[in-house]
Amino acid sequence: MSIAVKAEYSTGELMAAVMARHLRPGEVAIMGAVSALPQAACRLAQLTTAPGLWFIAGGSGAVNPHLDPLVASSCDERLLDADAVMTLPDVILVEGRGDLIDVFFAGGLQIDAHGNCNLGPVGPWRHPTLRGPGGVGLPFVSRAGRVVIYSMSHDRRTFVQRVDFVSGPGFPVGPGALPGGGPSLIVTPLCTMDFDPETHLARLATLHPGVTLDQVLESTGFAPIVPPKLETTPAPTPDQLAILRRLDPTGLLRGGA
Amino acid sequence: MFLSSTEAIDRLVPEGTGLLAVGGMHMHNNPMELVRELVRRRRGFRRLLTSPSASLAADLLIGAGLVEEVATSYIGFEHLGLAPAYRRAAESGAINVLELCEAAIVHGLYAGAGGLPFTALPAGLELSDVSTANPEHFHTITDPFTRERVLVAASLRPDVALIHAHAADEGGTVYFAGAHFTDRLMAMAAKTVIVQVERMAEAGEFAAQPADSVLPGFLVTAVVVAPRGCLPTASHGAYGYDEPGLRAYLKLARTPEGFTEYVQVNGMAPAEVTA
Repeated sequence: MSIAVKAEYSTGELMAAVMARHLRPGEVAIMGAVSALPQAACRLAQLTTAPGLWFIAGGSGAVNPHLDPLVASSCDERLLDADAVMTLPDVILVEGRGDLIDVFFAGGLQIDAHGNCNLGPVGPWRHPTLRGPGGVGLPFVSRAGRVVIYSMSHDRRTFVQRVDFVSGPGFPVGPGALPGGGPSLIVTPLCTMDFDPETHLARLATLHPGVTLDQVLESTGFAPIVPPKLETTPAPTPDQLAILRRLDPTGLLRGGA
Repeated sequence: MFLSSTEAIDRLVPEGTGLLAVGGMHMHNNPMELVRELVRRRRGFRRLLTSPSASLAADLLIGAGLVEEVATSYIGFEHLGLAPAYRRAAESGAINVLELCEAAIVHGLYAGAGGLPFTALPAGLELSDVSTANPEHFHTITDPFTRERVLVAASLRPDVALIHAHAADEGGTVYFAGAHFTDRLMAMAAKTVIVQVERMAEAGEFAAQPADSVLPGFLVTAVVVAPRGCLPTASHGAYGYDEPGLRAYLKLARTPEGFTEYVQVNGMAPAEVTA
């Protein structure tokens, strides 16, 4: 998928800036594997619009890693250069509290219109056509204040009507209530979506600069709610870009764009 | 107490071992020297239990055909890609996957370490398909206190745990440098614990270690000193992961023939067993 974003910033940088604006001062955020993007977003938010934000970087147990520099693996020892470090069993313990984690960053090989995420089997469970790695802590998204879903792929294979396997629960279609607040935002290389409060279905929120509505609809395997007025995703400001480039001298956020 | 990797696997991991747990997280602190020895000796076992996020150690054991079932919540290589041998084995049905989540692994190991018969999980986790896909491990019961329905998971008591730590003293007490992930918990729950370390500890070195980074020797069955033995995965406190080495594995292991080549080139050919 070629992305029609102008070259002053990368798609990854745009996505990090969008996610940063979603975070509020004093909140507690958590993320899992392959999480350089939300980590950069959290650090950016701490340094701009969300001072006092806390974030726990995946399996490392690092609390507010300084990201000097941003690293690719969520268990990299360099993440331990942080404000504090928790043991991994302690992180997994308190994820269960339900009143502690405000924002849970999630992703999936499949993501559906209700915000369900699948990192497990694609296709039949016993003989999958694609055996995904597994969902690690994604079942815990059900208890978080809100869930931010991010994906570096926006195509019909990823954004499907219904996931084949629920690793991270979105809004339930049948019986069962979500103890947490549920999915609140989807950020992709093409657009952002939020969720309609009545139907709990994904709703287009903003198109990234240069992206058309048709392009998004053609690339999405479900029909998102399209509001009458669609805004353009704000580009990262020069200040935001300067911070991101300082955190990311090796270009992890610029590799795919 | 101090054994070579060959002796440790030979004596402590009998053929047909029931539940073998392997520590580390992602491409960090995988006890690769012990894993390579299992492959060299073609030592099969019934079920592999991984840490919440496994990588090369699990993929290698699965690719070598040593695992009948795998209980895991993640086997992959993060930004480097999916796990090729796990994919092939799971997609063809060659192995059975017991889908778990990190809570079922960690709370299950707590239960195993503490002698608890099973563990109860927080509400909301039943909304994932993990518990549906693995009915032998999860049940829904009535909470005797609240009368609410509650998801419970089996306790995990590995027969053998293979983990990595930084250094060991002469009594077999080991300490971890950097993050130690779920490795201490895994060791506390297991009946037999083999710890691979970078080196012997220096006199007085343990006194400076925080309590939660040490595993006392009475919880350790055997120590194998294997400098740089986690490569190509990282060893916290000693070295980072060898990204070209991991990429070389991922490229070769895409096919069964390539996997066999990797095993041979990296000194794990079965011929060495009889040598």
